[in-house]
Parts: sequence; C-alpha cells; structure tokens
Amino acid sequence: MSEQEIAERIAKFPGADVEVLRKGQIAVKVPAEKGHDAAAYLKKMGFAHLVAVEYVDWIKENEFELVYNLFSYKMKMRAFLKVRIPRDKPEYITFMDLWPIAMTHEREAHEMMGIVFRKNPNLTPFILEDWKNLPPMRKDFDSRKYVKDKYDSIPFAEGGEQ
Amino acid sequence: MVDDEKIVSEDMGVQVEKNENMEMRSFGTVKRWATKRSLWMVHYCTGCGGIELAPLMTSRYDMERFGMHPMVTPRQSDVLLITGYVNIKTLKRIIRTYEQMPDPKYVIAFGSCPINGGPYWDSYATINHLDKYIPIDLYIAGCMPRPQSIVRAFEDLMDMIQDGTADGYMRYKKYYEPYKANQEKIFRKWW
Repeated sequence: MSEQEIAERIAKFPGADVEVLRKGQIAVKVPAEKGHDAAAYLKKMGFAHLVAVEYVDWIKENEFELVYNLFSYKMKMRAFLKVRIPRDKPEYITFMDLWPIAMTHEREAHEMMGIVFRKNPNLTPFILEDWKNLPPMRKDFDSRKYVKDKYDSIPFAEGGEQ
Repeated sequence: MVDDEKIVSEDMGVQVEKNENMEMRSFGTVKRWATKRSLWMVHYCTGCGGIELAPLMTSRYDMERFGMHPMVTPRQSDVLLITGYVNIKTLKRIIRTYEQMPDPKYVIAFGSCPINGGPYWDSYATINHLDKYIPIDLYIAGCMPRPQSIVRAFEDLMDMIQDGTADGYMRYKKYYEPYKANQEKIFRKWW
C-alpha cells in the first residue's frame, strides 16, 4: 500500500488532519480530546509499535505539542500522531492502556517538560538528579543562567581565580 | 614506620622538622619508585573517553608494559581516570570511589570536559570544573585525547610520583573542609 492510500484511510477518522511528509512518513494532527481515540484507531490499522513520545514547546503559541511516534512492521511506515495541549495547564491522558511502554516515555516527558499524564501511576523523578527547578527542556528555562548561578559561583577549594 | 609523606611535603615547600636521616630518605625514594612501577587503575569510565581505554589496555598500546592494569575495585587501586563529562549523579560516584581508594592515590582528568566543561560548558546537567570537588594531579587536554596522550600522561604521572609532585591526596586532606563544602553546595542529598 502506498502512503497516499494509507493517508486516505487515516483521514476517515473524524477530525484528523493527515499529511504525507515523505516516503514512509505520515503526520496526523488531531484535536487533544480525540488523541486517545485516534491512537486506538491507528493501532488497529497496524501501527502497533510506540517508538517514542516526543514533546515540543511552542512558546509563542503558548502550547505544548506531543508527538507520538508510531511504527508499523507490516506496512514499514511511520505515523506521527500530533496533539497540542495548552501550556498553562499541561495535562493529558496516558496511553498506557494501548502501549504499556508509554509509562516510561511519559515519565520522561513529565520530568523534562513538566507535562502531567493523568492515570499514569509512575511519574516519579527519572533521569535528573536533585532537580528543584523549572523542567529543563522548556524554552523559558535559561541554561546559561542556571550554570552561572549553580556551578560557576562555587569557588576553587584551594583558592585561585575562576 | 617510614615517613614518606614528610619527605614529599618537604618537596612541596612545607616546613618539617629535620629528624629524618638519609636512610629513611633513600627508603622513601625506593618506595616511590616501586609505587610508580605498579599502578593499578580503577576500571571506571564516565562519558565518552572510555572508548579510548580499550586500545590502550589491549595489544596495540599495551598499558601493561608500564606495570599498569585495570582493577575492578577502588580499594585496591591507585589511579582514578575521569574519562569525560561529569554530571552530578556521576560526581557522587566519583567522590565515593575516590574516598574508598587507599593512599597514595592519583587522579587524571581526561579530555576537556572535566577541565572546564568543554562543549558542555552551558549544560544544566554537567558540573564544569572537576577540580572544585576533588584534587586532580594531571590533566590531559583534547577532545578526545588519543591513546598516545594517555601513555604520555602515565609517563608524566610516574615522573611526578618519583619527584613527589603528585600530591593530590595530601591536598585533599589539607583542604578537606573547602572540598567538602563545595561538594555539599551542589548536592541536595547524597544518595
């Protein structure tokens, strides 16, 4: 099956904005409230593997974008399911019931971007150590200022210049 | 008990009482010569520099011809090689490893990342200057240093041990309070 035929099949899902990006890659944009249904629809179509959950900070539009990177072994094709959620209230529903591995991906998105996934039981600290600041992958987190305040302010133990 | 540290600290310019005789002095020289010829390195890699240790340990560059060998436990080791960027999680392990090693112990910072942060100088995750937290005897500049540089560094370290200028473990004792204060400044909790 070609990309166009699959895109037409996906477009039958109500509210889906489908675009063929290049060979073997299809982007599917849906409203946030239909994201879970669309994911179930795609999984039924054959996109059985959740490769990753990516997160984009669109700070000017005041939105976070979640990109669910799906892969189909039958069709040898990728589908990017994109949903946008408001930046002020970064909450979404977990996809753990469809793909159990979503737990780990969502845990990372929670730590790095501060997005809360409802019904995910394991949103505990993951990679960062002793973190008590803004989530570091947000666009308004100033890494240089953080480094200056935290690491560069520490004096050399044996004296000497910075 | 032979007071090797007194002899070395005299080399550092620290005032010591003149009670050691020549025999003790020469015994210290022999002891340091023996130390430099049987260095054991902690088999510990952080960051991307660990990949350079494989050709170093195996037949191409053959670290064993210097009497060096990797050791799996810090309690039997002399040399700690920091092979790349250090973040807070790693620094806790490095300090724990370093404090378990018996004296005399030597630290080599490998690559530009432990020196001043290197390409990760503005990263929120990596600490930039490793020498703010533990004393370092020798730096190898470069990104990445080739195994030849590491061999050269080991030769330099051996010379420094013979001279008594590889004194990092004594500086750690002398400046223990400021080192500990620096470590506690960036750790929220230890484990």
